[in-house]
Amino acid sequence: MLEINDLLFRYPAQAAGSKGWRFNLNVQEGECVALSGPSGCGKSTLLNLIAGFLTPSGGAIRWQGQSLSALPPWRRPVTTVFQEQNLFDHLTVAENMGLGLHPGLRLSQQQWSRIDTMLDAVSLGDFGKRRADNLSGGQRQRVAVARALLRPQPILLLDEPMTGLDDDNRHTLQALLLRARDQGKTLVLVSHDVRDREVLANREVTDFYHPW
Amino acid sequence: MHAATHNSPPLAHRNWQLAPGLVFSGLILLLTGGGLLALFLRADSDLAALWQSAYLQGVIRFTVWQATLSVLGSLLIAIPVARALVRHPSFPGRSGLLRLMEMSLVMPSIVAVSGLVAVYGRNGWLAELLQWAGAELPWNLYGLTGILLAHIFFNAPLAARIMVQTLERVPANQRRVASQLGLGSWQLWRVLDWPALRPVLPGLAALVFSLCFTSFAIVVTLGGGPGATTIEVAIYQALRFEFDFNRAALLACVQLLICGGLWWLVFRQNRHQAMLPDQSLSVGAHARRPDSTGWRRSADQALIGLFALFLALPVLAIAWRGIPWLAGELVDSELALWGATLRSLAIALPAGMLAVVLTLALLAATNALKPGLPRSLASVSGYLPLIVPPIVLGTGLFLLIQPRLGIQDYGLAVVALINSLMALPFTLQVLRGPFQANSGSTLRIADQLDIRGWYRWRWLQWPRLKRPVTLALGYGTTLSLGDFGVIALFGSPAQPTLPMLLHQQLGSYQIAPATGTACWLLGLITAIFVLLSRLGRTPGTSGVNHA
Repeated sequence: MLEINDLLFRYPAQAAGSKGWRFNLNVQEGECVALSGPSGCGKSTLLNLIAGFLTPSGGAIRWQGQSLSALPPWRRPVTTVFQEQNLFDHLTVAENMGLGLHPGLRLSQQQWSRIDTMLDAVSLGDFGKRRADNLSGGQRQRVAVARALLRPQPILLLDEPMTGLDDDNRHTLQALLLRARDQGKTLVLVSHDVRDREVLANREVTDFYHPW
Repeated sequence: MHAATHNSPPLAHRNWQLAPGLVFSGLILLLTGGGLLALFLRADSDLAALWQSAYLQGVIRFTVWQATLSVLGSLLIAIPVARALVRHPSFPGRSGLLRLMEMSLVMPSIVAVSGLVAVYGRNGWLAELLQWAGAELPWNLYGLTGILLAHIFFNAPLAARIMVQTLERVPANQRRVASQLGLGSWQLWRVLDWPALRPVLPGLAALVFSLCFTSFAIVVTLGGGPGATTIEVAIYQALRFEFDFNRAALLACVQLLICGGLWWLVFRQNRHQAMLPDQSLSVGAHARRPDSTGWRRSADQALIGLFALFLALPVLAIAWRGIPWLAGELVDSELALWGATLRSLAIALPAGMLAVVLTLALLAATNALKPGLPRSLASVSGYLPLIVPPIVLGTGLFLLIQPRLGIQDYGLAVVALINSLMALPFTLQVLRGPFQANSGSTLRIADQLDIRGWYRWRWLQWPRLKRPVTLALGYGTTLSLGDFGVIALFGSPAQPTLPMLLHQQLGSYQIAPATGTACWLLGLITAIFVLLSRLGRTPGTSGVNHA
């Protein structure tokens, strides 16, 4: 289970005495939870805290009972998909995928084959050698999700991953993420679009944040 | 718990990012401070009396005066030229002219001086033309006139090129609205051009002022007499001929105070100053301006034509006189030119490479540090050579190592080291943007995927830096190839580099060999700069082969 207990955070730019957040959330393994709330309530901030991109002032983040707080982003059991800029534009699609498996791209033949299979699964089988900056927005998001699914990390943090996509791309991504959830990945979703929350989320949480 | 599937990436520890840059930054600060301190420690006369001397005050007055006039002249020419070029985004030769304007930065001063002498000197083309018309040349190029002409020749194109790029960044829709409203030239200046130029003018003026204030080769060739000596030349004379360390130290401090104070004022207003034009050329990309028709069109054409002539004539004069001499003499294997070429390359190539390495190390350290004093020092140290006289840096090194070992033992290595430091402000300008180009999200994703250390360099930074690094190498190498300031202090007249040989030839009135040498040096610099700035330009994949 992913447990967030009294996690405290305040952006440094905020004046002393101004409001910060206290987060509480529990997510079961293999569950998809959608975070809901008005703009600025801290949804993306919570995802960044779980990923280790931001440092909390107090509280705990645990996965399967073990604290993640001291771990840097690269040691956490987490993969993030942002709304955009998930890919390295100057690299090819296959290289972008491969970096999800080894940061030095030292991959076995078998791993390259897995990448090809995954690209087929997102209908981008012929795109492996194409540079990422030559892809459309929908194609880029499909590659980003495909890379996230390729990684062994069990938690998937989705920060508006389908904003701006057309219906076809949205349905493709929804199907992929549903499959990931059914295969046991734990998903935390932030999406303004009610359709994504309805299709993907087992439950919607609105009381995960409190003023601090 | 998920376990990491691989070892930590090579060179991922933060110290690998920090240590080289901090060490280099410390060395630059030490060299500057050490140079000044060493000069003062060697001083044995009364500083107060020296400060009162008419000579010293005359030198300071002349330096400030000529730099101020040069700034005014350069900017007053650059503004109308830049506006004319923006009003006419497509005419034959526009790209060539813009490239020629960029070249002024890497053209060695001493080469430009020989070109200017060939056109505007007593025996130059203009004098011949006037003689033919029964008139006489109304000026003497040696003195303030020549110094101003040379400074404007160098700085007006640089300023105009940066202004063109600034004016072209005015949002397209604002230009379209102005065009639709049919605004006149004055209104366009008030509404579009002046608001765009105003933020860059103080920094640009400070840049031109610093370059002219610290000018050495131009002043030592065209001025240099008691009435036309700048601080930089006076330091050189004090050290090289009179061994007056006191005077040299005092002059260096005055230079540091004036230029440093100026840049402090500029930076205090948070002005980010472009010191180099970017490499993009926009041709025909903008809406036509209402003030680009009728008589204005003819006036602009005349202005652009005159400016192009002003820039091209000295280069043409060098080629016209130099190529025939080269064609006749190059086969001579005993030619002094060959030895000078080899010595110049032996200094410039390592200097260029060292400048790039130092720049990357400084940028890596600056990026890794949180805001605070160490980060500010690392940032400032790279720009110090813009205001610290190279001769002070060199003298610092000279005085620090000479007691232990003769300078001849270090010779070219010392010159290469100082030259690489002098190129730092420019290589930093080329590499800073691309080095910091990865967005926040990209860096977060990279962190999550453990793309750190060597892997981050290999996959994220090097692909973005490949082309800028070759361009920076081009600047570093060509600036060093054209250097006459440091080599004048450390070089041996018996073993000259190309600029030194050229200076010797000009000094002994060997005009034909001098123009030949100038032509050769200019050709070499152009070839290296064009080659290096083109290398790595082709966008491609990262070169990973996989099934």
